[in-house]
Amino acid sequence: MNFICNFPFFSILLSLFSGTVCSILPAKAAKAVNRIVILTTGILSAVLLVYLLDTGESFIYRMGHFPAPWGNEIRAGVLEAGMALFFCVIMYLSMAGGAHKLYGEVVESKHNLYYILVNLLLSSLLALIYTNDMFTAYVFVEINTISACGLIMIRQVGRTIEAAVRYMIMSLLGSGLLLFGLCIMYDLTGHLLMSNIKESVSLLVVTGEYQIPLIVSVALMCIGLCIKSALFPFHAWLPDAYGYSTVSSAAILSSLVSKGYIFLLIKMIYRVIGFDIFNSTRIIDMLFVFGLMGMIFGSLSAIKENDIRRMIAFSSVAQIGYIYMGFGIGTQTGMVASIFHILSHAATKSLLFIAAIGLTDVSGGSRRFVDLTGAAYRNKWAGVAFTVGSLSMVGVPLFSGFISKLLFAQAAVQVEGKMLASLIVLGISTVLNAIYFMKTVIRIYTSTQEDAYAGITFKSMKAYAVVLLFFILLNVILGVSSQPIVDMIEQGLVMFA
Amino acid sequence: MVITVILIPIIAGILVPALPFRKRWLKEVFLETAVVVNSILVWYLLLHHSDSTFLLAHFTGNLNISFHVDGMSMVFAGLVSFLWPFATLYAFEYMTKENHENVFFLFYTLTYGVTLGIAFAANLLTMYFFYELLTLVTVPLVMHTLTREAVLASRKYFYYSLGGAAFAFIGLIMIIVYGSTTAFIPGGVLDVDKIGEQTNILLLVYVMAFMGFGVKAAVCPFNSWLPQAGVAPTPVTALLHAVAVVKSGAFAIIRLTYYSFGADFLRGTWAQTVVMGIVMFTTVYGCSRAVKETHIKRRLAYSTISNLSYILFGVTIMTPLGLVGALSHLVFHAFMKISSFFCAGAVMHQTRRHYVHELNGLGYKMPCVFGIFTVSSLALMGVPGLAGFISKWNLATAAAASGTPLAWGGIACLLVSALLTAIYMLGMVVRAFFPGKDFDYDTVADAEDPGWKMLLPLFVFTVFIVLFGLRSQPLVNFFYDVAGGIL
Amino acid sequence: MYLILLSVFFPILSGLFLLIRYRMPLAKEKKNTDRKTLLTLTGCFLVITVLLCAAARSTAGNSFTLFYLTKTLPICFKIDEVGVLFSLLSSVVLPCAGFFSFEYMKHEEREGRYYGYYMIMFGVLNGLCFAGNLITFYLFFELLTLSSMPLVLHNGSREAIMAGLKYLFYSLCGAYGALYGIYFVCQNSDTLAFTAGGILKTSSVSQHGEFLLFTAFVMILGFGVKAGMFPMHAWLPTAHPVAPAPASAVLSAVIVKAGVLAICRIVYYVFGTGFLNDTWVQTVWIILTLVTVFMGSMLAYREPVLKKRLAYSTVSQISYILFGLAVMDADSLTGSLLHVLAHGFIKATLFLCAGAIIYKTGKTRVDELRGIGKEMPLTMWCYTFVSLGLIGIPPTGGFISKWYLSVGSLKSGLPIFSVLGPVILLISALLTAGYLLPLTINGFFPGADYDYTKLQKQEPCKLMTVPILFMTVLSLLIGLFPDAVTDYLANIVSAVL
Repeated sequence: MNFICNFPFFSILLSLFSGTVCSILPAKAAKAVNRIVILTTGILSAVLLVYLLDTGESFIYRMGHFPAPWGNEIRAGVLEAGMALFFCVIMYLSMAGGAHKLYGEVVESKHNLYYILVNLLLSSLLALIYTNDMFTAYVFVEINTISACGLIMIRQVGRTIEAAVRYMIMSLLGSGLLLFGLCIMYDLTGHLLMSNIKESVSLLVVTGEYQIPLIVSVALMCIGLCIKSALFPFHAWLPDAYGYSTVSSAAILSSLVSKGYIFLLIKMIYRVIGFDIFNSTRIIDMLFVFGLMGMIFGSLSAIKENDIRRMIAFSSVAQIGYIYMGFGIGTQTGMVASIFHILSHAATKSLLFIAAIGLTDVSGGSRRFVDLTGAAYRNKWAGVAFTVGSLSMVGVPLFSGFISKLLFAQAAVQVEGKMLASLIVLGISTVLNAIYFMKTVIRIYTSTQEDAYAGITFKSMKAYAVVLLFFILLNVILGVSSQPIVDMIEQGLVMFA
Repeated sequence: MVITVILIPIIAGILVPALPFRKRWLKEVFLETAVVVNSILVWYLLLHHSDSTFLLAHFTGNLNISFHVDGMSMVFAGLVSFLWPFATLYAFEYMTKENHENVFFLFYTLTYGVTLGIAFAANLLTMYFFYELLTLVTVPLVMHTLTREAVLASRKYFYYSLGGAAFAFIGLIMIIVYGSTTAFIPGGVLDVDKIGEQTNILLLVYVMAFMGFGVKAAVCPFNSWLPQAGVAPTPVTALLHAVAVVKSGAFAIIRLTYYSFGADFLRGTWAQTVVMGIVMFTTVYGCSRAVKETHIKRRLAYSTISNLSYILFGVTIMTPLGLVGALSHLVFHAFMKISSFFCAGAVMHQTRRHYVHELNGLGYKMPCVFGIFTVSSLALMGVPGLAGFISKWNLATAAAASGTPLAWGGIACLLVSALLTAIYMLGMVVRAFFPGKDFDYDTVADAEDPGWKMLLPLFVFTVFIVLFGLRSQPLVNFFYDVAGGIL
Repeated sequence: MYLILLSVFFPILSGLFLLIRYRMPLAKEKKNTDRKTLLTLTGCFLVITVLLCAAARSTAGNSFTLFYLTKTLPICFKIDEVGVLFSLLSSVVLPCAGFFSFEYMKHEEREGRYYGYYMIMFGVLNGLCFAGNLITFYLFFELLTLSSMPLVLHNGSREAIMAGLKYLFYSLCGAYGALYGIYFVCQNSDTLAFTAGGILKTSSVSQHGEFLLFTAFVMILGFGVKAGMFPMHAWLPTAHPVAPAPASAVLSAVIVKAGVLAICRIVYYVFGTGFLNDTWVQTVWIILTLVTVFMGSMLAYREPVLKKRLAYSTVSQISYILFGLAVMDADSLTGSLLHVLAHGFIKATLFLCAGAIIYKTGKTRVDELRGIGKEMPLTMWCYTFVSLGLIGIPPTGGFISKWYLSVGSLKSGLPIFSVLGPVILLISALLTAGYLLPLTINGFFPGADYDYTKLQKQEPCKLMTVPILFMTVLSLLIGLFPDAVTDYLANIVSAVL
């Protein structure tokens, strides 16, 4: 076995251990370690991706060479490696973009705690991506929840505690349901490794035994993951959690954490239950309906919002709706669209959060729209970045959002029963997106007569501007040369099965 | 070549704020040169075009960004590139009394490139792409004055345009899936084998896409952005909201109807009835709102709404003759409306009067402006001998020949709206020239005709209005070729 | 060819010249000299135009195409008998009223504008008479509305401006109705040129017969607006009286005849009597004309203001003509065309008389005019003679035309209307006597209590009396020697029926 095959394992362990190491380091060093770790895992994932693209097939890595059912397995394919790389990139950019706010919003003594949590989060995300074992997945789901909670709570101002508690409760509910489902599944099949479960499940389907428990188990796991990824109507925890935590946390939470669960769900659909079997249940119809409702209601809530951060948070609800709608379409193309939207939304949403913080900073820290008037003139980079992010969200060509919209629509058209509903909702949701994002864009470009707040010069925020530039680039790349990425996703899905 | 003419204005526009112009006239010369050179290039391109398609970039899969020059693009690009230099000239004088000139000229010139992009787009995706871009580059122009009114207007414009594009997007998807290609081919690209049982859904999507693009063409009920956008400086309202932007909407609908879905597929279906009914309603609705409106520019904007629906009425007849009518009104209305807008702008610029009742007696102090305004009013009404009559004639005869009873009703709508046009346009003319017995001429003592930069475009447009009215045959023959799919 | 063009364009250009030359009100200090040049110029223009018209009329049968608006739309001129008849009317009434205005308009402002539009209107009328096809006709019809509107609102009072606009919109409304028909006529015929007997394609008649009938009806109604036919007559009593008296004379005597000419053209030269005879269109049309005849007379009878009374009288009298046209019988058509001339001269004279009275006494209401016959005997004698003509007392022109109308109607064999028509005409004639003669009676026989001491001769100057006298004589001549005219009309009648 090639040495590179160790990389997934290395990257999980590296981030896990660096987390522990951080606890004894001073804040500055912890920050450095954190950055280096993210970078390293990113590089490792990139190398792995290149290797996988080269060989063209996935591999399974047994930890300690124990065979199933005792051993624990890691599996890596193009999709996993690509996702890991992408998560690292976003995480790095989010951390870098929000670093300057960390000092203001988080107590000095807790800085290294923050980096511990981020490292833990990274490791759990990587584990969710790579694991081939349902129970391992469950364990890292819990680690993920805890570290995410920490990230929310670390800024100890007013509502964050409440938000964190809410998040905690909802998340635990979700992981509890996941665990139930898992138990039933284990009862039915006697396995925890994904590939083994799949074999048994397909056998069960053929023989027609235990149909109802099987469905119940799948449904429980699905609902659990839906709650955790804030699918409408389980999104109540989201706006506060994203809206009040420190900006890096918000960016990471919205663009990575929820996506981790979604990725796990995809993995489950393909590797545990089997795509066709999953599609033959009514669950996808439920996902479809709730996805569509999420698209509408998320946007409607965002329109009503008067606070820019919460508005972006609500927009996440809508975007998650898109992703679930892609699942619900129930075809390979729908799935491709969803996965592409995971990338596109992650890139855009973190950009929006980071840009929004730049805008609120020059408006006296207020996040109310009234105070943001003309903010784009005071902080030009944030203004441009926010505009780009908004346009991408609305689905204007050139930016990533357009491609995911295109893919979704193309996927929807192929399924007769769901075509019209999804196309119309797609249209309406675009209109709604346009309403709240363009309202903001125009607001920040409306100059006030008297400049209430001082502007910002380039020097004072070089790093911030560069991060934004990278985000914009990422968006444009996704929007302009999407074909290789879509090909890669397709290849990865083929490898999954 | 095609990409050059799209890029020149874009680059020139970006250079305006970037270059340090010491004197204003340097900037004017620079801009005017760029625009004129570009227009000449466009015309050269139109006259010496080849049939090949220029591929710029692959987008995804079989979708690409590519350009070509066909009959329709010749009409639209020719129109736009003819009007733009004059409008720019006009803007130089007009903008002397406004702020943020650089930003204005930046976006104004950018729009030129983007509009040409729409005209030369070789497939639906490219057109959609530039269509969205057009929204983006014109919003700052609407917002220009940054008053509360302008901000609200631009916001509305933004919502409407993006929302409309979202539904047009559905049409794009349908063509991608059910068409043999997304390229524009006269007669449509729908693949009969793929359609199967889906005819009704396709028709529904056509209606949605029609309304989606129709937002830019201000089809009722999506028209309210247009009068509000009248807060923009007059060169913008005149060129963009009477020609470039709104006609892009009409142009896109023509592309969608005749070059993507195909008129044969749509003719005689319920979809045709629906869209025709909507545009018929809009023709009358726009005019009646114009009659009620007292703000000059908003009144003209309502008039634009109605006139755009004339064009769309021609489109919805779904015959080559109907397309000829639509094209002739597309071109002629551009001249008539830009001319009347420029007159209104001249009044606003010279006298700071914005409302109809303030026009009393100005006709004697600004004879050139109001003479031209009268000509364009008469042309808009459709008095024979002026351009408007020809296009209405083409539209109406096409409708009469179509044999659809609804289209016969449509002619009646055209005429009702012509009557209303007379009411709101001649109402202004009469005020200007016949202020009434007790009118105190001292109140207009300070008014006078504007300078040559404003008058020259007006005169040129008027000459063309008359010319088209009397001798439209060569141009209309050309439209016949375009509509017949020869070009 | 050049004669026609000259007779059309010379007055138009001279009118434009006057408009531009006398753009602003005449300066007070030089008013007299300026006014003299203006009048001389106008006089010359009028005379030249009349001569040109006469010359053009002498080239009967001459036709040519000026140019093509579109492939199927030639602008062409043709001199035929009907055109000559109407042109004769206008080239008598217009100069007469024009010379009358030289005196009448003395105290009005903006005479330049008045004469400018007056000349333009003259040219347009010539164009209308000599138009060779429907589209040329329509062109001049629209221009006629536009050029005569400034005459209506000339005095600039609010009432006049509103009346002018009312006139404009009613006329345009009618013109557009007619245009609606033109579109379909164009569709269903090979040419638009006026041809005796109609131009419709036989195939179209059999195919779209019903719809074409509807179009014909719309066109008759549309052009009927100009002729003041019920239900679109309301503009006429508003617009005619507010214009200066000579302008009202022209409007009432000539401009309304444009509507008559238009209907004559479409019925006899476009659709053809063969197509319209014995159809619902004819029936409805006859009903409308009879209603108008009766209603006009009734309203005139009740009207106290002299000029308004005359305007109502016009409404009624024009519908006599239309009735004759609608019956579509040789005799009734002769009567109609004869009444065109007769009514033209008579009504022009009546309005000029009213103008002379207003000019001299300033009185407008009939009941104020007791004893006027003593003050202005010549004017009132003329008034009396032409009134008798309008009532239809032999040997005046009105008698002959009404005779023909009734005979034609009785001969036509239409159910009900062949008898009802003449009855209503007779009743209306009685009413005519009722509203015209009181002025004569009160004027010449003011009664015993009339204070003769206040009486003063105030016959107007020759510039006013000569035109009145001239036209009175003409109207009498028609009655005395009708054969000259009827022989000429026989040509027309035999061609179209």
